[in-house]
Amino acid sequence: MRLDFVRIFIDTTRQLFQQVIGPAVSVKSVTVKPSPVAGRDVLTIIGLTGESQGRVIFDMDLFTAIQLAGCMLGEPSPGMTPLVRSSIAELASMAIGQAISKINDNGTALRMSPPIVITGANLVSYDQCFETLVAPISTAYGEVRMNITIQDLN
Amino acid sequence: MENIGERNTHGTAPLTCLIVDDSAFARFHLKRLMDSFENVLASEAANGNEAISEYRRLKPDFVLMDIVMPGLEGVETVRRICESDPAARVIMISSLSHNEKVEEAFAAGAKYFIPKPVTTDELKKAIDQVLRTGRDAGAEAVR
Repeated sequence: MRLDFVRIFIDTTRQLFQQVIGPAVSVKSVTVKPSPVAGRDVLTIIGLTGESQGRVIFDMDLFTAIQLAGCMLGEPSPGMTPLVRSSIAELASMAIGQAISKINDNGTALRMSPPIVITGANLVSYDQCFETLVAPISTAYGEVRMNITIQDLN
Repeated sequence: MENIGERNTHGTAPLTCLIVDDSAFARFHLKRLMDSFENVLASEAANGNEAISEYRRLKPDFVLMDIVMPGLEGVETVRRICESDPAARVIMISSLSHNEKVEEAFAAGAKYFIPKPVTTDELKKAIDQVLRTGRDAGAEAVR
């Protein structure tokens, strides 16, 4: 696990969230899990490739997703509309894009995939078990969990 | 409403803009920012191929271009647009703002680079700059 990259992902995401959705954003204690704990209603998945590889999964409740999107859109949303899905995807994309830019400028070539948003009840990723760092991010609209897996290719 | 660009200041034809981003939210956000400027008509494209055909059809005064898109990504789209129209004025808007990516964008023909999330002030400055200097613009990035 590249803990130095994990720190950049978490710090950049916290700063980006503060910039986009307001100052009431904090990161609770980061824990290590044997696999992602993404089991809430809305998952946003971004793949990482290059000299290191892995993925970041943001997961949150439906209510939180709709409220966050409403804040970004400047207007309340009636439910999980395509524009809400896109807003959540863009929030994750901006955070990871900024983090990747810092990592690239520090000398490691890393690329990101476009974000994929999956919605539904009791979503859990069982496909592969990779050691994952889980960072709960507290916002004014509810908690967003970051599940980060990133390792060097060697 | 704020004025942007010399043509608008003189009250002539509206400025035309093409917003290119696969994110519906990003297009919504940029369109809303463009609507806050006076006398600007914004069109949208959701991917690189659509952007190229819309550029040929509309010949907009300037383009706002994302980088990370499925299929034809932003830098290659800029390269193809600028090959067909070297006078194209393209402003890159992306969360990917590391030095190598910014240099790639400028080498492809982009005239300005703004990291996401973009603000009204940054966007206005970028548009004023590319409209004022046009094809002779020195590439500039907000970092």
